[in-house]
Amino acid sequence: MKKHKVTICTGTLCHVMGGSELPALSQFIPPQYLNQVEIKGSPCINHCKNQDMKPPFAEIDGDIFCEATIDKLVKELIKRIENDS
Amino acid sequence: MFIDADYGHKPKLGQIVCGDVFMNEKIKNENRLVAVLSDGLGSGIKANILAKMTASMALNFTVNNQPLERSAISIKQTLPICEVRKIAFATFTIVDTEFDGFTRIIEYGNPQFVVFRRNQLLALKTVVNAENELSVSEFNAEIEDRIILFSDGVSQSGIGRKDMPFGWGNCEMIKYIQNKLTHNPHISAKDLQKTIISRASLNDNLKPQDDTSCGVLYFRTPRQLILCSGPPYDKNKDAQMVEMVSNFPGHKVISGGTTAQIFARELKRPVEVDLSNVSPELPPIATIEGIDLVTEGILTLGKSAEILKNKEHNGVSSNNPAMLLSETFLNHDKITFLIGTRINEAHQDPKMPVELEIRRNVIKKIAYLLEKKYLKEVEIKYI
Ligand code: FES
Repeated sequence: MKKHKVTICTGTLCHVMGGSELPALSQFIPPQYLNQVEIKGSPCINHCKNQDMKPPFAEIDGDIFCEATIDKLVKELIKRIENDS
Repeated sequence: MFIDADYGHKPKLGQIVCGDVFMNEKIKNENRLVAVLSDGLGSGIKANILAKMTASMALNFTVNNQPLERSAISIKQTLPICEVRKIAFATFTIVDTEFDGFTRIIEYGNPQFVVFRRNQLLALKTVVNAENELSVSEFNAEIEDRIILFSDGVSQSGIGRKDMPFGWGNCEMIKYIQNKLTHNPHISAKDLQKTIISRASLNDNLKPQDDTSCGVLYFRTPRQLILCSGPPYDKNKDAQMVEMVSNFPGHKVISGGTTAQIFARELKRPVEVDLSNVSPELPPIATIEGIDLVTEGILTLGKSAEILKNKEHNGVSSNNPAMLLSETFLNHDKITFLIGTRINEAHQDPKMPVELEIRRNVIKKIAYLLEKKYLKEVEIKYI
């Protein structure tokens, strides 16, 4: 089965700019989809160096998400998983 | 030799403050440590003030190299005598110890302190001056010796209970400590002090009948810790920084995302963030093989400074990253900070909602607390 890879930035900047809840993402994914996602954290995914993008940051399958929220990420993941089938 | 010193107390049931006071000070350039335990008559705020007065007099006299006996006598003469009970308003024990081990202890009115060499009670030569009721002991402390001071609230805890009508008593207490030391030979001053106090309050069915306090001085080989935080000013020094930490003979901590990435890159090992234990308060910890603890930087350090300052390391949950970091500091004796001085441009953004304190200031604050409040040996290196 294809797994969708999520990377959450747990860096200082993303944390204080609204990302403090993101590390708990897995708790908000519908249980039936949990086995199709792989969530990892990273101490900084280096987008904060780019002034034009707004933190907090996360990546899904390599695509960058600015101003990430749990809601946004969960919706995106569901969309991607449902697209697979 | 390093002296790990810690104390704790529980006030008598119903009192907010404790009538026993423990103070200590390390005099760095003289390689000496002075510790004082004073027990004020009665309990509550009055006792606390008496004890505090006594302890600070004793500490200051001794720190300023007044001969122990003389300071003890001056203190005794200053202390008022209770009209009713004809006893002094506060008792005290002064420990003056040099880092090479030579130790003198002078005691007035407190229960006899105990000294353990590993797990054996050390018999000390004690000279008692009948006239002024001062007892003076001298000995040469060795590595793995412990001096344990306690107030009568400890030795007399449980008094009146059917199974211990006269209280816990020195004999039983010594057996208890001996047992602890046999099973846990390297127990820290903090943990030993804590178990003694909690046992004493258990004797009183958790309702202390008197102010209960205990201080422990533990002579040991220093446990070393290095904390590395912040990228080096000069990018070419990344490798040097990583090498300094890797070769460090002791516990290794990294505090900071960018720093963690430098290590991962130089050591060619992945950084893995631990998402199993997250709280919205602080970013989670991470792991890099070969490093003992990896945390986020400035927020975690700031929180840790707060914990160290308030000594509230009981309240916060134990897997909170700042809590882990604070515990790590306290479990070591000699702490080296290796601080990178490159400014993180991302933190300079005026749109940032919180003021992120400059790394250097937070580190200085932590270093100050560790040195003054917890008597650690601290060194800060900038790179
Ligand atoms: S702190 Fe999140 S991308 Fe750098």
